[in-house]
Amino acid sequence: MKALLTAAVLGMVAVALLGADYALSQSAFVATWAIAGLGLSLIVGQAGQISLGHGAFLGIGAYVEGLLAVAGWPPWVSAPAAVALAAAAGWVASLPGRRLGGMAFAMSTLAIALLVEEGLVRWESVTGGAAGLAVPSLRIAGQVISGPLGQSLVSTALLIVAYACCRRWVASRIGRAWRAVREDEAAAAAVGIDCGALRSLAFVLGAGLAGLAGVLYAHWLAYLSPEQFGLQLSFELLMLVFIGGAARLAGALWGAAVIVALPQLISLFTDALPARWGSASGVETLAFGLLIVLIILLRPAGIAGERRQAGREAG
Amino acid sequence: MKKLLALLGTCLALACAGATAATPGVTAEQIRVATIQDLSGPIAILGAPIRDGMAMRFDEENDRGGIFGRKLRLVVEDSGYDPKKAVLATRKLLQRDGVFAFLGDLGTPVVMATMPLIIEAGRPHMFPFSPHAATYQPLDPLKFQLFAPYQDYMNAAVRQMVTSNGYKRVGLLYQDDDYGLEVMKGVEAGLAQLGQKLVEKTSYKRGATDFASQIARLRAAGCDLVVLATVVRETVGAVSEARKVGWNVDMLVTASGYSAQTHELGGKAMEGLYGVSVMPHPYAAGANDRLFEWIERYRTRYDADPNVWSVMGYNVADVFIQGLRGAGRDLTVERFVHAMEGLSTTRDFFGGPAYHFSAQDHLGNRHGRLARIEGGKWVLISDYLK
Repeated sequence: MKALLTAAVLGMVAVALLGADYALSQSAFVATWAIAGLGLSLIVGQAGQISLGHGAFLGIGAYVEGLLAVAGWPPWVSAPAAVALAAAAGWVASLPGRRLGGMAFAMSTLAIALLVEEGLVRWESVTGGAAGLAVPSLRIAGQVISGPLGQSLVSTALLIVAYACCRRWVASRIGRAWRAVREDEAAAAAVGIDCGALRSLAFVLGAGLAGLAGVLYAHWLAYLSPEQFGLQLSFELLMLVFIGGAARLAGALWGAAVIVALPQLISLFTDALPARWGSASGVETLAFGLLIVLIILLRPAGIAGERRQAGREAG
Repeated sequence: MKKLLALLGTCLALACAGATAATPGVTAEQIRVATIQDLSGPIAILGAPIRDGMAMRFDEENDRGGIFGRKLRLVVEDSGYDPKKAVLATRKLLQRDGVFAFLGDLGTPVVMATMPLIIEAGRPHMFPFSPHAATYQPLDPLKFQLFAPYQDYMNAAVRQMVTSNGYKRVGLLYQDDDYGLEVMKGVEAGLAQLGQKLVEKTSYKRGATDFASQIARLRAAGCDLVVLATVVRETVGAVSEARKVGWNVDMLVTASGYSAQTHELGGKAMEGLYGVSVMPHPYAAGANDRLFEWIERYRTRYDADPNVWSVMGYNVADVFIQGLRGAGRDLTVERFVHAMEGLSTTRDFFGGPAYHFSAQDHLGNRHGRLARIEGGKWVLISDYLK
């Protein structure tokens, strides 16, 4: 209750400081990125795998939704299709994990990111290629969701659902098995856990969530091009999870807030700086980098991570 | 708990208190204008000089007293070429900064993601740095474009080259993105008008550094003119590769390769390269008096030499200012749009084109001119090709 109220007050302060549309638009993107972060957090934090290509699943979700929306499909058909295809891609991406481990497997996920981006460029007849794809606004029950308020409400509602699902998974037998695989694969196998299948399951669920984030992203941005789903996005999502704290689901929320909203806050501050300083190229990137380093130094296990754990890791 | 609720209420009240002015971004003293640039991403090398050129023109106008007493203020946001960041920046500019118009936003993904928001908010979307036709088509009262589309000027440039030099076998090397495709369409259309076809076309991925296989392929096809839809580094790479293997074929690069960096980086191997210029590069040597004085001022102000992007930034600000002045003392979006639709500019001291806008056509210029690298600099060899 207290946490909810604090969030509400923070939100109100943001609205008062930034203006409603600006704050709501940010919250829509924060919630969307948090959904993708939750997915990656299952893979990285729970199952202990590294996915360097998570942006690709978001891209698949976004393009499938975008193309189906252009073709006139209603969202209650197109969105599940987009999520399912992204999840299927996640399953494919997890297959090399049956034979490869550690860095070698991580490299194979990197390849997925490259393949998807290239595929989106080359498959021009369908995706529109490098020229991009304009996506119509989201339409739910005859209502067009194009304003920041609607976007924020839809994103937040889906984030709550996704968070609840993740919590359930993590607390269940599956979650315990994931953590067993993460801590010691040989020991997990010895007690009868099918490590390969569990890893695949993490990828399917994680990629599905990324696909869901992609569905929202496609509508909020209204224009898709392959370069948006390149390696940079994958690394951004990975950064999001580690900054927030991979071991806890709440880490995805914190991470998303930092990745999406922090650059905006910095830009507000640089506006207040004298013109000579504020307008210098790269000032905002520099400030962002410094703050990230600071966060990692102070909270090595991520913002949501435990301090005790941090101390142990540092020691 | 009570305190929290009270705080909530106060915040709500504050949020509702923001009153709006008659025309957003326009007060008795000031006109606020937004621009979304890439100052930290992959094309920051273009974004910084564009912003500097714009800021310089705005300050000039302010030093002369502004527009009907109103000072121009440029509000710059950095997108880092990330459309998500750009969308948030647009919301901020629309709501917090309350700008009058958006001027010279940079990058196709950024422009395509933000333009709908800007148009929906009823603000003019002026002269974005994007080759996408959606920036002026279909006709929208709030969309204006200044830059000649690749398709149009490459069509004319290729026709001019083929008719004057008698090429029979034209080939194309292109970047496989929207830029490369636009150029290809223009080149193919131009050749078709002369009853020719591309004898060979080959692509590369953005960021490529090795062009050996592409050049070999174009050479094997026996091309006598190679059109390059490349940017600076790739232009240097492709031309150097051809010269290295002893192939002295004529090459023509788009305006994206028309940059002083091309001959600075490529050195002697670039001699004889043809290019298309939409805005001329500001060389101090041989400059007219006004251009020379402008270059000096730019150098003093930024401690750097201006390039063609600085000129373009200055140029978009200049045409925008002419539109503002045409709108008169009582500035509204409607008056501004009306003034823009009647605007015809004259050639400036840079040697750039004259721009014409009308109620039916919001694209100011469709033409480029031919240039060639001679003695280590670009020399203009034709006027604007109709």
